[in-house]
Amino acid sequence: MFAEESPDWDLDVSGSVICEMCGAEPATVHVLRVVNQTVSHTHLCPACAQSMAEQTDGLALVLALPSMLRRLGKNKSGESPTLPPESDVRFCAVCGTTLSDLKESGLVGCAKCYQAFGDYLEEALGSGEPVEHPGKIPRRGPETDNLRHEIMRLERMLRELVACERFEEAAGVRDRLAELGQRLEGGSE
Amino acid sequence: MTPAVLTASALGLARNESGRRFPHAEDAAALEALRTEVVETLTGDRWDRPWRVYELERMSSVEVEYLVERGLMTPAFAAASGAGRGFAVYGEGEASLEINGDDHLRLLGFRSGGQLSSLWSLLSRLDDRLEMVFSYAFDPRWGYLTARPRHAGTGMRAYATLHLPALTLTGRLAGTALEIAGNGLALVPLWGGAGGMVQVSNLGGQGRSENEILQQISDLSRGIVEKERSVRKMLARENPVQTRDQIGRALGVGQHAWTMSFHEAVNLVSAAQVGIELGLAKVPGMEAQSAFGLMSRLQPAHIVVEYMDGKMGCMESPEIDERRAQVVREIFAAAGVPA
Repeated sequence: MFAEESPDWDLDVSGSVICEMCGAEPATVHVLRVVNQTVSHTHLCPACAQSMAEQTDGLALVLALPSMLRRLGKNKSGESPTLPPESDVRFCAVCGTTLSDLKESGLVGCAKCYQAFGDYLEEALGSGEPVEHPGKIPRRGPETDNLRHEIMRLERMLRELVACERFEEAAGVRDRLAELGQRLEGGSE
Repeated sequence: MTPAVLTASALGLARNESGRRFPHAEDAAALEALRTEVVETLTGDRWDRPWRVYELERMSSVEVEYLVERGLMTPAFAAASGAGRGFAVYGEGEASLEINGDDHLRLLGFRSGGQLSSLWSLLSRLDDRLEMVFSYAFDPRWGYLTARPRHAGTGMRAYATLHLPALTLTGRLAGTALEIAGNGLALVPLWGGAGGMVQVSNLGGQGRSENEILQQISDLSRGIVEKERSVRKMLARENPVQTRDQIGRALGVGQHAWTMSFHEAVNLVSAAQVGIELGLAKVPGMEAQSAFGLMSRLQPAHIVVEYMDGKMGCMESPEIDERRAQVVREIFAAAGVPA
């Protein structure tokens, strides 16, 4: 069976970025402590997590997992975190998810959010330079259905973008529509 | 006989259809339509084994909990609500499918013992069949796209259940947990950590292939279980009286208790299993089944469904604890401690 999961494992944006024990170092470990069947959560730096682990007696079960977003506190070059400023009002034109929705819930609303918030996600997931996905890839379902879905959605998006006078983005969507239209006419093979 | 390294293996594979928003952001009608499409696909004839489709709205809490306890449904899916949710079980429970949970589709597989690779090959095959009907949201850079970006990539989460009572008892599990976290994996308690049961899983699906993830989990688990075995031997050697005392007490309680919580039952079975492995206990009632299989059968919904005809609305009732104690007494009836 599957163990229960804590909701803040996903993008882990709720807690503090600084270690809750020493208050100085960035917290990169999420520690679960189980005493008498009750689980408590703390966010610690590696050194404090180590000392907590060493002090633990047999009565407490200490478990840990890496905090993803906390990596932002110490990137390779030692520069300060590059989180987008609070004033960032980016949103996904397909589903309307905003960057603050994403930060709050850890959820994206649709496939296109990965483009709308690409740089944020790269930073948050610490996944480094963009590379090709190494695992299994789809063999491809019914390509034409897929294209029609996409075209319908882009047409809706185009109307919305024109309505709110975001012509530059609308032009991009129009070009993409033309390209998909050609692919649909030319057959999917 | 050396027991399996992994006590149990589980796998989840998340997929989304490319034309729709993810469930939490999609409207109810679209989610209902998707569920209908999925159910039609499952009841079609392209499968080696039949799917059984469940109507979640009509299920009692005991029935849902029973699916969770059997590893067919995740606790998060069971606890959630929303439009268009559906659920189906493949064959005799070799795999299952959650519809419109966090993601449109999530294939699940659960087995006792070390079965991660065989689970992956089954789920991947079922995934291929589903993909003949649904076109998946996929991006060459991000991989399979999921509602939770951390799981994008393979869309796969693998879980290895480990039985680590000696590491837990001696407080050594904490160091192991930090080591695991350093490798980007999680080590979390199963059943509130009763009996030293923990689960190791990958947190993300980015940057590595499915086989690399499974290999890493298997390798790290093997190391942890070896450490557990050596600590058990060390305990028996250096603290023989306490070790025998713990095991003997567990057998005594198992033989004579008249009411028992699940947590306590798992602790007892765990201690008995350590005793059997160290040659410090004999429990004929446990010979035919694994300790993990027995623990699973002692879960609340299992007791209600398998011993009480499913007739108990509430999972916290004293009758369940009494029935559980009776099951444990029968198993431990002929148990003994060799001189």
